[in-house]
Amino acid sequence: MKKKKASTILAIVTALSVLAGCGGNSAPAATGSSNGSSAQGENKNEPVSISIMANLHTPEVPSDMIEKLLEEKTGTKLDIQWVPDGTYDEKVNASFATGTLPQVTYLKNAASLVNMRDAIRNGQFWEIGPLLDQYPNLSKLKPEVLKNTAVDGKIYALYREVPLSRQGIIYRKDWADKLGLSAPTNVDEFYNMLKQFKEKDPDGNGKDDTIPLTDRNDLIYGAFKTISSWLGTPNNWGEKDGKLAPEFMFSEYMETMKFFKKLHQEGLINQDFPVTSKTDQQNLFITGKSGVYIGAMGDVSSLHPKVVEVNPDAELDVQNKIEGGPNGFGIWSVPGYGSVILFPKTAIKSEEELKDVLAFMDQLMSTELGNLIYWGVEGQHHKLEEGKVIPSEDTKLTDREVKPYQAMQVGGPLTIEGFYEAKHMLPVKAKSEEMIMENNEYLIEDPSASLDSKTFNEKGVQLQEMIKDGTYRFMLGDIDEAGFQAVVDNWLKSGGQQIIDEFNVSYESSK
Amino acid sequence: MRRIIKNRAIYLMILPGFLYFLIFKYIPMSGLIIAFQDYQAYLGVTGSPWVGLKHFERLFTEPMFFTILGNTLLLFFLNLAFYFPVPIILALMLNEVRREVFKRFIQTLVYIPHFMSWVIIVSISFVMLSMDRGIINELLVMAGFEKINFLMSSEWFRPMYVLQIIWREAGWGTIIYLAAMAAIDPGLYEASRIDGASRFRQMWHITLPSIRSVIVVLLILKIGDVLELGFEHIYLLLNSMNRDVAEIFDTYVYTAGLKQGQFSFSTAVGFFKSLIGLILVMLANWLAKKAGEEGIY
Repeated sequence: MKKKKASTILAIVTALSVLAGCGGNSAPAATGSSNGSSAQGENKNEPVSISIMANLHTPEVPSDMIEKLLEEKTGTKLDIQWVPDGTYDEKVNASFATGTLPQVTYLKNAASLVNMRDAIRNGQFWEIGPLLDQYPNLSKLKPEVLKNTAVDGKIYALYREVPLSRQGIIYRKDWADKLGLSAPTNVDEFYNMLKQFKEKDPDGNGKDDTIPLTDRNDLIYGAFKTISSWLGTPNNWGEKDGKLAPEFMFSEYMETMKFFKKLHQEGLINQDFPVTSKTDQQNLFITGKSGVYIGAMGDVSSLHPKVVEVNPDAELDVQNKIEGGPNGFGIWSVPGYGSVILFPKTAIKSEEELKDVLAFMDQLMSTELGNLIYWGVEGQHHKLEEGKVIPSEDTKLTDREVKPYQAMQVGGPLTIEGFYEAKHMLPVKAKSEEMIMENNEYLIEDPSASLDSKTFNEKGVQLQEMIKDGTYRFMLGDIDEAGFQAVVDNWLKSGGQQIIDEFNVSYESSK
Repeated sequence: MRRIIKNRAIYLMILPGFLYFLIFKYIPMSGLIIAFQDYQAYLGVTGSPWVGLKHFERLFTEPMFFTILGNTLLLFFLNLAFYFPVPIILALMLNEVRREVFKRFIQTLVYIPHFMSWVIIVSISFVMLSMDRGIINELLVMAGFEKINFLMSSEWFRPMYVLQIIWREAGWGTIIYLAAMAAIDPGLYEASRIDGASRFRQMWHITLPSIRSVIVVLLILKIGDVLELGFEHIYLLLNSMNRDVAEIFDTYVYTAGLKQGQFSFSTAVGFFKSLIGLILVMLANWLAKKAGEEGIY
């Protein structure tokens, strides 16, 4: 149904734009600011209007309090379109196809940028690389990260900075203490911890009802990729005999699948993990059914209050650096950016207009506004103590008024001058932040981040589904090693071999 | 022309319906053009290059193609075989209920699920069928059986799909049959009672033949819905473990098209699916006419 509706709308709009005799240049947002751009400079009277599409991570659209402050401080008229995270990519694709992207388009993540590469190459977005020097704040964005977002070596996007690797485990320290276990430092100890959590009745209710590890239907941000990097699997692509090959052709990937198969067979992981949602996964942990959670260690701050509410004696701890592979500890990392920001030509008509928009983005990176969109208003959403931020305890208020705006951030703590650090009242949260910094020394980077393959752009998502299915089927015991090899062969045959060849060509030329 | 002016009130009443079909059904059809192009959003329909049947060729050579075609047709036939008779049987049973109040009550009870969205129905079944603490599996264990992996197995997908449809739609489907039954001349029943027909005989010889044409029309309409297996429903149930039986054209279009921005290819897939639907409807209509029924056109 949903798909049908979307395609109907799509078809109508295409049909109408044909009737109107224009090739999809019907961006309503552009009209307002083309007037404003004639009066450039500091002393313009009319506010520049800027349209933005941003990813909404909370269930509700935020109050416009911060939006009003932003408008006031930048002298602009903002039109922010919030799109729920779950359908963000579809919305971007549909808006792009109908030529209705706003002037400032945030993409969801690195993979979304890959999908847009063809369009970027075809000149649908403004190249901003040569202009960045003119802006005091934008020029502080890291060249290494910008390079990762580049298409054919040209820079089209600003980026939102995220920590390179937040992965680690969060576990019930009270359970571990009770069983005399210390924090695991290698995969065997980790396995042992799960085993004890299963067998030794850690919650002390006399029943065998604990599910040690809770995971969800996500091979990347769930437990799988993190454990796979403990075991030494490369990040998406790795070098094998001097050539790039996808991670699932490495023996370490197979080891990881076997490890999960063992966990699944011995009941050390929730049996339905391939179909468990993030909410259900967290609920298992919160309600004390499960004692180990693998994912972003920073989640401990949102999990802690909920766990304690259910069981006041519960205690959480975080841990990283689990060794498993021959090369010691390693952890996969993102290419330095979370979302990227593009400027469509359908919405921005002239270079003057582009400069207005970039000037606004530049202001978003200023000390004042950078802190405003991330931390909210002092006294209302946070307090300052010794130059550090103590976020308000009223998380409902900050969720409603501040958190959504964090998605609009440009750059991050490393690039925004005077960006406040948080002073964590929760010691385990502070520890998780330290560990996230510590991860930076053991990163396994993705060598394909800035590489390009035409076939990958065209079929990559579909092909990846094949591998995902095969991985789950192996872990659940549906197919064996030969069966997985057949999946890989099928992948190679359906276009995978082309992807490998194209990436290698791109890799050679980038050396 | 004069007649049009004379009956303008009637024509005016047709207008909204006419506009609806024009705007929402016929104009969008022109979008099908992009199935024969390498549609690029920024070039528009006028500027995109023509590629002939390239996208159809790609579809027919996809390794998944026959699986998808088979799944779509099989789910449709299962739907037809197992779901379609249920509302009829239910309506016949309800029709025999004497107490009006009781009948109304039952009827309301069985059609309420129709108002729940698939998200809710699927979530409820997930909670009940889960391996970890799902009530059905707990009961199975208590009764001494093995746990069954309902959610992630190819064998259980089809029964689950059909049962969920029956649970949600059967009650709603009875409405039209009950209406048809209400229109049957009571004299027929009286006459048969005098001839000594039992209730079952009456049902068999009077009620069923009287609603036969309604059944046939609904059957043909249902066949037209071969396209509408319920994208939402299947997409929610679909996962890595049951993809080989659950992937249908709708879900495939969604992953290939909207998620990856391959508009031309997914339009071609949708086009192909519609053609199958059209052929099936024409076939059913032809069969109905052969059998002496009126058909729908």
